[in-house]
Amino acid sequence: MAETADIVNLRRYRLIRNAVFVWLTLVVLGAFLLRIPRIHILEHTARNLYFHVPMWFTLMAAALVSAYHSLRYLQSGDPVRDLRAREAARVGIVFGLLGLATGIVWSRFTWYLGTSLWWNFDPKQSFVLIQLLIYGAYFVLRSAVEDPEKRGRVAAVYNLFAFVTMPFLLYVLPRQMESLHPGAEGNPAFSDITHPIMRLVFYPAVIGFIGLFWVLYTQRVRLALLERRLEMRKATMLEAKS
Amino acid sequence: MKAWLRGFWAVFEKDIKLELRARYAINMLLLFALGALVVMAFAVGPTPLSARVQAALLWTVLLFAAAVGLGRAFISEEERGTMLLLQLNLRPGAVYAGKLLVNFALLLALNLVAVGAFAVLLRVQVAWPGLLALTLVLGSIGLAGATTLLSALIARAAGGRGALLPVLLFPVLVPLLLSAVEATRSALLVAEGWAAATDELLTLVGFGGAVITAAVLLFDYIWLD
Repeated sequence: MAETADIVNLRRYRLIRNAVFVWLTLVVLGAFLLRIPRIHILEHTARNLYFHVPMWFTLMAAALVSAYHSLRYLQSGDPVRDLRAREAARVGIVFGLLGLATGIVWSRFTWYLGTSLWWNFDPKQSFVLIQLLIYGAYFVLRSAVEDPEKRGRVAAVYNLFAFVTMPFLLYVLPRQMESLHPGAEGNPAFSDITHPIMRLVFYPAVIGFIGLFWVLYTQRVRLALLERRLEMRKATMLEAKS
Repeated sequence: MKAWLRGFWAVFEKDIKLELRARYAINMLLLFALGALVVMAFAVGPTPLSARVQAALLWTVLLFAAAVGLGRAFISEEERGTMLLLQLNLRPGAVYAGKLLVNFALLLALNLVAVGAFAVLLRVQVAWPGLLALTLVLGSIGLAGATTLLSALIARAAGGRGALLPVLLFPVLVPLLLSAVEATRSALLVAEGWAAATDELLTLVGFGGAVITAAVLLFDYIWLD
C-alpha cells in the first residue's frame, strides 16, 4: 500500500471508500424497501430507475475522466496518465454493460411485453452500444502495440478522436430514432413523472454509483501502477545480475 | 505558410504520381466496391427496395471500401522507408493535409463509379442528383478525414495491421453514416429533396470540420517521435 503513497492519500481514500459503501447500502435498502407510487405498466419495475439510470451517468463520468487523462498524457508523457485513462475506460465498460443490460431487460418486460423484441432503436441505448464499441476498439488498439510509450500515445489519440465525435452522435441519434426515455420528443420530462419520494432515492443513487466508480477506478490505477513498478524492478535486478 | 503550402502540394503531387504509375489503390478501391455491390445486387435479386434500404446499402459499401482501400496511405511510406524523409522535411500538418487530399480524390473517383453501378444494378432512380452529389462530397470529406488519421495511427504504431482500420473506424463514423444515409434517402425520393435534408447536410459539414480539426491537432502526436 505504501508503495503507491505518492499518488494517493491513503487516509482520504479509505474515508471515501467506507462512506461510499455505507451510502450505497442505504441506497439499495431504500430502493427496495421504500414505497413507490403505482405507475401504470411499470408497477414495481420502476425501482429499476435507481439502478439503470445511474449507470448511464457513471459511464459518461468515466468517459470524461478517460478523455481528460488521455489529453494530459499527450501533454506530459507521464505513464500514470496513460494508466488512468485505460482504467477509467475499463471500469466505464463495466458500467456501460450493466446499464445496457438493465435497460434491455426493463424495456423487454414492460413496454415490449407481448412482443418478442429485445433490441429497440432508442437513441440512448444505441449511444451506449457505440461507446462500448469505441472502448472495445481502444483496447484492441492497445493490444496491437508493443512499445509502452508508443501504445500510450496511440491509444490517447484514438480516445480523444472518438471523444470528439461523441457530441455528433448525441445530436444525430435522436433525430432518427424514437425514444422511450423521458424528456424526449412527446415524452414527459423526467421531473414531471417522477414522484418526490423516488427522487429522494434516485439522486443519492447517482452519487453513490459515481462514488463506486471512483473507488474501483482508483483501486485499479494503484494496482496497475504497482504492477508497472514491479516489472521495472525486476528488469533492473536482471540487469544487475548480468 | 508558403513552405507549408509547398510541402502540402509536394506530398499530394508525389502520391498522385505514384498512384497513376502503379494504380494499385484506386483499382483495388473500385473493384472492391464493384464486387461488394454485385454481391449485394445478386443477394437481393430483382426485389424492389425502399429508398432507405438503397441508401443504406450504398453507404455500407462506401464505408467498407474506404476502410479496406484507404488504409495504405502511410503504410506504403513505411514500406518504402520514406517515412523518415517526410518527418525531417515537412511539418506534420502539411503531410496530413496532403494525404487527406489524396484520399479525398480517391474517394471522389470511388463515388463516381460506385454510384453509377449502384444506380444500374439496384435500379435506383435519383430524384435530386444535385443533393446526392453534395451528400457524397460532404460525406467523403469526413470519411477521408477520419481514415487518414487512423491509417497514420495504425501505420506508425501497429506495424500496418490492416484489419485494425475497420475496427477503429466504424464506431467513430456512425454519426456520418446516419446523416449521410438520411440525406441520400431524401435525394432518392421525389417528395423530399433539399428542404428535408438541410439538417443532415449541416451535420455532415460540422462532422467533417470537427473530424479534420481534431485530426490536425492530434496528428502531431503520432507523427513525431
